[in-house]
Amino acid sequence: MTKSMEVQKAADDVRGRTLAKIPRPLDRFIYLASMRDYNTGLYHHEGLASRFSQDIACEALADCHREVYRQLISCSLEDLVSQIEAYMDSSRTPARDFVSAWKGLEPYRVAVPVKSDPFSAEFLFSNFRIALAIVEERLTTAQTPRGAA
Amino acid sequence: MSVTQLVLFLILGAGFLCLLYFFAGRAGARAERGADALLEAREALNSLQSGLLPPDLIVRIFARDDLNFITSMESPKIEGVFLRERRRIALQWVAQVRKQVLNLKRFHSGESRRYAQLNPRTEIALAFDFAALLIACRVLQIVFYLRGPYAASGIVNRAVGAAGKVCVVSERSLAFLRSTNAGGLGGRSTGGSAALL
Repeated sequence: MTKSMEVQKAADDVRGRTLAKIPRPLDRFIYLASMRDYNTGLYHHEGLASRFSQDIACEALADCHREVYRQLISCSLEDLVSQIEAYMDSSRTPARDFVSAWKGLEPYRVAVPVKSDPFSAEFLFSNFRIALAIVEERLTTAQTPRGAA
Repeated sequence: MSVTQLVLFLILGAGFLCLLYFFAGRAGARAERGADALLEAREALNSLQSGLLPPDLIVRIFARDDLNFITSMESPKIEGVFLRERRRIALQWVAQVRKQVLNLKRFHSGESRRYAQLNPRTEIALAFDFAALLIACRVLQIVFYLRGPYAASGIVNRAVGAAGKVCVVSERSLAFLRSTNAGGLGGRSTGGSAALL
């Protein structure tokens, strides 16, 4: 079996066993980014590495990360807002704190795959900024008492 | 042979050696410039095909459903944020396309004849495509700046189509320089235009 076939097999394994259980592209994106070592840029997954090899596992995870990144870029703004709201709910962080942290720290910036095209990354960041402004606006509206406006 | 003649021959020989060294240096520099131009053209082509022209990205940047979603919220603040961000992105996109097209044009008008034999008809058509594309980019920059990203979907479609054609010809000229591009959006532009509406 060639290396690219092994990588393909490992990537299918990641999609079938792990990513299938994560419902939204945003969650998958953050999960895959968290598999990457910030110091080396290499992806680590013990289970996958034991079934294939560290090298194959790393490439398979990188492939899946790029795939999910493309999916996220293709999402409509409405879809991205729903995904952020769902992710925020699942994080169990108070909504205001979550929005404040995401607006300030912009954690999505370090979650893009290595060698992503700078323009497509900038487009995704721009969409995140708009989506977070919408989430924040919704929170404000929900907290404003009726008739106060 | 007198000493004077010997010195004269030595001076002449040293002069020839200096000339030889000078011309060899110039040829080396020219070859280096040629290699740089090739790499620059390859990078420009990769950037256009993988980063700037994939149909799904262009459709997303200028998607009307995003605008409709925002206007349905009836929030002037959010509408302001959205239009400001989209205009910035649209201007950045067209500036990047223009920059990479200029890089390809520079390659075609300078170095490409050494590596690819294009017939005169193709060269003339290509020159027209470059000119039309650069004009379209300028028009788009003005329209995006003055009227926002949704005011020129027809010109965007035509510019993307022309850029695709230029990429196809450039791809042929650079076919011998294969490079893999791990990043980017993956879906490479095929030269067709992305329908925005």
